Amino acid sequence: MDKVMKNKTAIFLFMFPAALLFTTIIIIPIVMSGYYSLLKWNGFTDVDFIGLGNYIELFTSKSAGFPRTIGNVMLFTAMSVFIQLPIALALALILSRKIRGEKFFVAVFFFPVLMSTVVIGQLWMKIYNPDYGIINSALRFLGLESLTRVWLGDQNTALMAVFIPMLWQYIGYHMLLMYAGVKSIPVEMKEASYIDGATELQITRYITIPLLKPVIRVCVIFAVTGSLKAFDLIYVLTKGGPAHASEVPSTLMVSMIFLRNRYGFGSSIAIFIIFICFFFAILIKKIFKTEVD
Amino acid sequence: MGRETLGDKIIFGFLCIWAAVQIFPLYWMLTFSLKSNSEIFGDNIIGIPREWLWSNYEAAMTVGNMAKYFLNSFIVTGCTVILTAIIGIMATYGLTRMVWRGRKAANNLIMLGLTIPVHAAILPVFIVLTNLKMTNSYQALIVPYTAFALSMAILIGNSFIEGLPKELEEAACIDGCSVYGIFGRIVLPLMRPALSTIVIFTFLNAWNELMFAVIFISDSAHRTLPVGIQTLSGSYTTDWGPIGAALVLATFPVLILYCFMSGKIQESLIRGAIKG
Amino acid sequence: MKSAVKRALAVLTVLAVAFSLAACGGDSSKGTTLVLWSIATESDAFHPAYTKAIADFEAAHEGIKIKHETFENESYKTKIKSAVSANELPDIFFTWGGGFSQAFVDSGKVLAIDKYYTDEFKAQLSTAALGNATYNGKIYGSVYSTPVSVMFYNKKMFDKYNLKVPVTFDELTNVCQTFISNKIQPFGISVKDTWVLAMSHDALTLKSAGPEKVKSVLTKQGGSYNDPDFIESAKKIKELESMGAYLKGATGLTNDEASAQFYNGTVPMYITGTWMAGSIQTDTETPEDFDVAPIPVINSNNAKITDFMGGASDTLMVAASTKNPDVAGNAAFELTRSISKYAYLDGAGIAAWKVDYDDSAVNPLTKKSAEYAKGATSFTLWFDTLMAAEDAGEYLALLQELYTGNVTPEEFAKHMADQLGK
Repeated sequence: MDKVMKNKTAIFLFMFPAALLFTTIIIIPIVMSGYYSLLKWNGFTDVDFIGLGNYIELFTSKSAGFPRTIGNVMLFTAMSVFIQLPIALALALILSRKIRGEKFFVAVFFFPVLMSTVVIGQLWMKIYNPDYGIINSALRFLGLESLTRVWLGDQNTALMAVFIPMLWQYIGYHMLLMYAGVKSIPVEMKEASYIDGATELQITRYITIPLLKPVIRVCVIFAVTGSLKAFDLIYVLTKGGPAHASEVPSTLMVSMIFLRNRYGFGSSIAIFIIFICFFFAILIKKIFKTEVD
Repeated sequence: MGRETLGDKIIFGFLCIWAAVQIFPLYWMLTFSLKSNSEIFGDNIIGIPREWLWSNYEAAMTVGNMAKYFLNSFIVTGCTVILTAIIGIMATYGLTRMVWRGRKAANNLIMLGLTIPVHAAILPVFIVLTNLKMTNSYQALIVPYTAFALSMAILIGNSFIEGLPKELEEAACIDGCSVYGIFGRIVLPLMRPALSTIVIFTFLNAWNELMFAVIFISDSAHRTLPVGIQTLSGSYTTDWGPIGAALVLATFPVLILYCFMSGKIQESLIRGAIKG
Repeated sequence: MKSAVKRALAVLTVLAVAFSLAACGGDSSKGTTLVLWSIATESDAFHPAYTKAIADFEAAHEGIKIKHETFENESYKTKIKSAVSANELPDIFFTWGGGFSQAFVDSGKVLAIDKYYTDEFKAQLSTAALGNATYNGKIYGSVYSTPVSVMFYNKKMFDKYNLKVPVTFDELTNVCQTFISNKIQPFGISVKDTWVLAMSHDALTLKSAGPEKVKSVLTKQGGSYNDPDFIESAKKIKELESMGAYLKGATGLTNDEASAQFYNGTVPMYITGTWMAGSIQTDTETPEDFDVAPIPVINSNNAKITDFMGGASDTLMVAASTKNPDVAGNAAFELTRSISKYAYLDGAGIAAWKVDYDDSAVNPLTKKSAEYAKGATSFTLWFDTLMAAEDAGEYLALLQELYTGNVTPEEFAKHMADQLGK
């Protein structure tokens, strides 16, 4: 077996297409961004090599407000791991129990992921609208006028107001992954335990979830890297405002690169995002590995 | 599982409520696509349209070359999905089952693909594509889409292949099967749920992708649907109805593909059981 | 295994088709084809004007074709910047004059077109109108419309409360007060789409500090932003905000959402560009209820009612990399001349070129706006276009902070002075 698996030609054939694409489209651009991040550059002319100047500004400049964006995005990441994923897991486990209408629910629960960000954004703007929005209307109906807010325009609520739609939208995404994971666990393993008299909860706890670990690991990696890079819906809902209240590193990066022509500074944010995503991805892999072994 | 307990009923009830929440955006998009701006912005936000403006669909279809954009999106997305699935599963196999030096590092490196913020990649990838003389073509999108989808595909593939018992492959090996035979006859069929998932996610990303499509394609002959839909908005004012209509038309293929592929995931269990 | 082979074949076929289709893209027909990029998408008010202008040009120059590619406004800004960086510009491209295109010109990727600005064109379009497309003494583009910032208002609502159009800021606050006492929110505005807030603040600043001071401070030719006249306009914005003159929830609303409240008669006033005149015709049920007025004066020592924010900023430029500089250079002028005419006749924009044709069919709001522009004693480009990109970005961010009360008007002016002094 080992000999077959060490077949050099086969390894080359299996790996070459991926390696080629990956190097040209992923690695080279990362290296280029790394180089840009050492420049004071507007994207067109005036290239000025300034070493780590951008990174120093990143962490010391008060007006750029970068440290705050890290705090925001970390909060969001934690919420997606500890709120979004457990919900997704619960749904996946329930659905894979051959529940009535399984097919229907699997289809429907994924719908929000299929929708364009434009639609989701417009919908939530309606929900949050201070005047006729669903939330404020409901509060008024319940006689809680004092609790009504300009949800997306209030500095105290804007951050949560953009997080909630994002958490909600991607529950289906992780649910599907986990659902497919449960489905690929051989039935025999569960049936054997059934015969041994195990309850369904026990089977879930001691058979299904441990076998699901590789899939859960991938979900955590996707959730963390996805959250750290989150951009689209934030941009549609608040553009990072009001007054930077819902700013995250990627919205700041885009405003630096394309709005303010600070390509070098923007690239240093990009490199920071790449670094922190990669760091967490490796960390998650390590954590799950020790537990599996 | 013949008898439904009270717990089951509660769970079922809960699932129904959640389903209603999840269907709502779809309903909202459908009604939105049939309204005028004044209904969308205030007069009638969630209700059934008071005036059913089918003309929005007409506007969406006749403005620009939507049929062509649709075809372009289909070609780009189709090629991306097929390439990603094949290259991704091949690499998965190479990275998990084959034995070679540097494999571990490669496994870690693969995750770099998940880390790049799209907007930071625009200019570097654009420059790479320009040097390869690839802008203004389908490849200008297929290649970056595939590259960006690969990490996801490989990670999903890895997580599924880890759960597969190696014994089957070893048995095949003893039977004299080549490495390609093992891959094609044993591993691929067992990876069906993973493949379906990869196809769904890749399709979704490529079908909706906007930034690369705007920057790398300047020629409307190769323009994709999201870019086409975006041009339905004017610079100062936007008529949202036709945009809603175009989005409905754009969402349906994904919806259909998804329902089909998620069905495949369900079937895979039954097939696996028979085979096992 | 068989199925795998079949599948691989299928893939190869698809790819082959894709690549051959791609190869068909190259046009090898005879004659010259110029590629033009713009944001006049098919649903944009300027689209018909562009289309007619191109048809005119092609009819006048046999053998020359213009391929018009349109993009959505917001993503076009990203696209054009990337295209300049990667040297992938088309022959002629739409851009904004002033600070926005400064870096493009500096990078040497834009062609100076002075020599195509013939006497014929000079008679119809003054050199002054090309001011925002002129860099280091050379002309780099041609313009077609001169939108200005004005105050649109709902005549019917004004009449109901016996209000007169305000000419001074005090009159304006009185008008606002009357509406507020009648439970009507006076101004529609969007802070989320910060350019809308900027339109109001730019205009009030102009009416407080006057055109000369504004221009010299913002383009760093002398003077400081930390000046009583600049602080004054920031205070006025804040004053209007705290008295409740602005639409509730403006911090969370887009321009589309806010202007919908103006079109349907919820709020009586909206400060924006003259392009709204066209939208009022299509988006409101009773366009005749609406009217337009110049923005009131804060300090009559510095500014007149006839000083306007705005001017010709929408510009067509020619890429230095074009293979047909003579054709493209001339086309930039001919096209803008025709666009100017057709857009005005459509009510989409105010003509930058001389009106030597019958314009009696133009809608009254656009016509009235055009008259304001004609009688303007000065044009000052919008701050976010006038300033260099980096300063403009900071300006918009600071405006939000000012509006939400995170910084005081004094701090706002100081931050701006620091930013401009960098």
